[in-house]
Amino acid sequence: MFERTKDLRLSVIKQMELRASKFPDVISLAQGVPSFDTPSGIKRRIELALQKGVVSKYSLSPGLLELRELIEVKLAEDNMFYDFEKEIIVTAGSIEGITATLFAITNSGDEIIIPEPTYTSYREVITLCGCVPIFVGLNEEKGWSFELEKFEKAITPKTKAIFYCNPNNPTGTIYSREQLLGLAELAKKHNLFLISDEVYKDFTFARKEKIFSLAEIPELRKRVIRLFSFSKSYAMTGYRVGYLHCDESVTQEILKVHDSLVTCAPVISQYGAMGALEMAQKDVIFFNDEYLKRRDLICARLDKLKNIFSYVRPESAYYVFPKIIKKDFDFSSIEAPESFSFKFAFWLLEKAQVAVVPGVAFGPSGEDHIRLSFGRTEADINRAFDRMEKIFK
Amino acid sequence: MTKIVLAIHRPTVVAISGSSNKTFIRDEIRKILEIQGKTVRANPKNFNTEIGLPLAILNIPSGYNSYRAWLPIIGKAFWAIFQKNFPEFLVLELGVSQKGDMRYLLSIIKPKISIICEINQRYIESFSGMDNLFLEYQYLARQTLQSGALILNYDNARVRNLSKKSRAQVEYFGKTKKTGIFQIEKIEKQENGQKFWLRHENEIQEFFTPRFGEHNIYAVTAGKVFEYILNFTKYEIS
Repeated sequence: MFERTKDLRLSVIKQMELRASKFPDVISLAQGVPSFDTPSGIKRRIELALQKGVVSKYSLSPGLLELRELIEVKLAEDNMFYDFEKEIIVTAGSIEGITATLFAITNSGDEIIIPEPTYTSYREVITLCGCVPIFVGLNEEKGWSFELEKFEKAITPKTKAIFYCNPNNPTGTIYSREQLLGLAELAKKHNLFLISDEVYKDFTFARKEKIFSLAEIPELRKRVIRLFSFSKSYAMTGYRVGYLHCDESVTQEILKVHDSLVTCAPVISQYGAMGALEMAQKDVIFFNDEYLKRRDLICARLDKLKNIFSYVRPESAYYVFPKIIKKDFDFSSIEAPESFSFKFAFWLLEKAQVAVVPGVAFGPSGEDHIRLSFGRTEADINRAFDRMEKIFK
Repeated sequence: MTKIVLAIHRPTVVAISGSSNKTFIRDEIRKILEIQGKTVRANPKNFNTEIGLPLAILNIPSGYNSYRAWLPIIGKAFWAIFQKNFPEFLVLELGVSQKGDMRYLLSIIKPKISIICEINQRYIESFSGMDNLFLEYQYLARQTLQSGALILNYDNARVRNLSKKSRAQVEYFGKTKKTGIFQIEKIEKQENGQKFWLRHENEIQEFFTPRFGEHNIYAVTAGKVFEYILNFTKYEIS
């Protein structure tokens, strides 16, 4: 019984949220949800679609043609050329796209390499697909970067893909072009797929240039499966809409799984996604500016707690992943799993009513860390840190 | 206001319409004109209906659903009459989502060249059948200036039939083997794009586009016909 689900676990982030909800005055820096409402242009697009009565029926399985056409245009602006008719699939959020991808490209028992710490749900999806997640630690000392030799060592005849998130959740760091090209060389050498989850790609605090994607390289188009979600960039987490793209030889196989899983992405959300691409670019810039302010605020507040935390300054997303350098806390009253970061997170919730995510949830290298989201308002960040400062005195 | 601006500045209007492939053709035409050193203004994809089109012509943003945002826009619309450096060409996508849309849009603009690639079931919801949708595009064919041209996809029977109502020069493109048309002979997908061969009047030329999908071949081909009509020097697509 439950053979397939027995090794799955509920997301630690959701577990923390559930636990936090029992504290009446809790401030949550746990869940990665933007504090903003969906931009009004997107809502208006949905209202118009509702009025026209075009949202009640299924769309084509890969998504509305108009939306996919917009996605092709948007991708071309970013130097990625994909055919909207055969190479782009609109998904029910990126996690459904990831699930469909893994089911399509793997066989039971295949290994998927994940650089970690990274997004918690990757492990569960890989396990659900009957595959084995192989964690390869990132180098915190070098700004949470790849160490290619570690990847090469982790590759076995069973390895099917390397699956990474760029910009990375929970570290908020961006892999450089050189690092990614190194990964691509490895993938070519060992005939692997590269799954690139780029849901935070619109947030760049240095603003030097756009975030580089391996999907820009034509010779990799059969190897790189790139995913994007509207959730973060356009404050649409509840709409569950995203997309993936790759060469048609791969997407046509993924499409079969996508069709079996959801038939199509929610049509009402697809209209929202059209509104996002047509009208919400200014909102994305505004969000980016706000997150930059919040990043600076949260870093300034962390700097005041230098005896407790050290951290790598995030360049993107809305997370910071500080290491807990002080170890002598009294956790005797805390009932938590045997992990320092879990104990610390539970202790912080009890003592300060501040919810954070224990770092170990993001992979073994995340132990001794916590993830703080600055998707919350500046007021929430300040209140959370005021409370933390009080208990750390 | 938009009509006054157009009457003062008299730009050449290129209209791109049909159920699909408008954006890709619009981008191709704009690129061709820019390479020729012409000044061009094109409408963003969502600025192709009764409110968006005038705003795009005047080059002013939309206030979307904010009344407060619309107030300064109305002011800007007035000052647009005095715009300097108004472009020589307007490349405009015309969107049709309900009966009468085309009549309204063509009460604002008079296209010199119109390009129509597809007429299909898309956007059919507000029409009581394909014939009614067809009438919208037929109106565009009829209203295209006699001194201008109509560029049509020969492969689509409904698009092909639009020529019957036009007084303008008509040129066709497509994959169908037919004398006189710009015929896409062969398409070869490569790692970095698509190579294709175009036959016209017994001359075959090879082209390349870094984009994928047949719609992009059609867009480039429509651009070739546009160049031919305007007698532009042939250019290589990088």
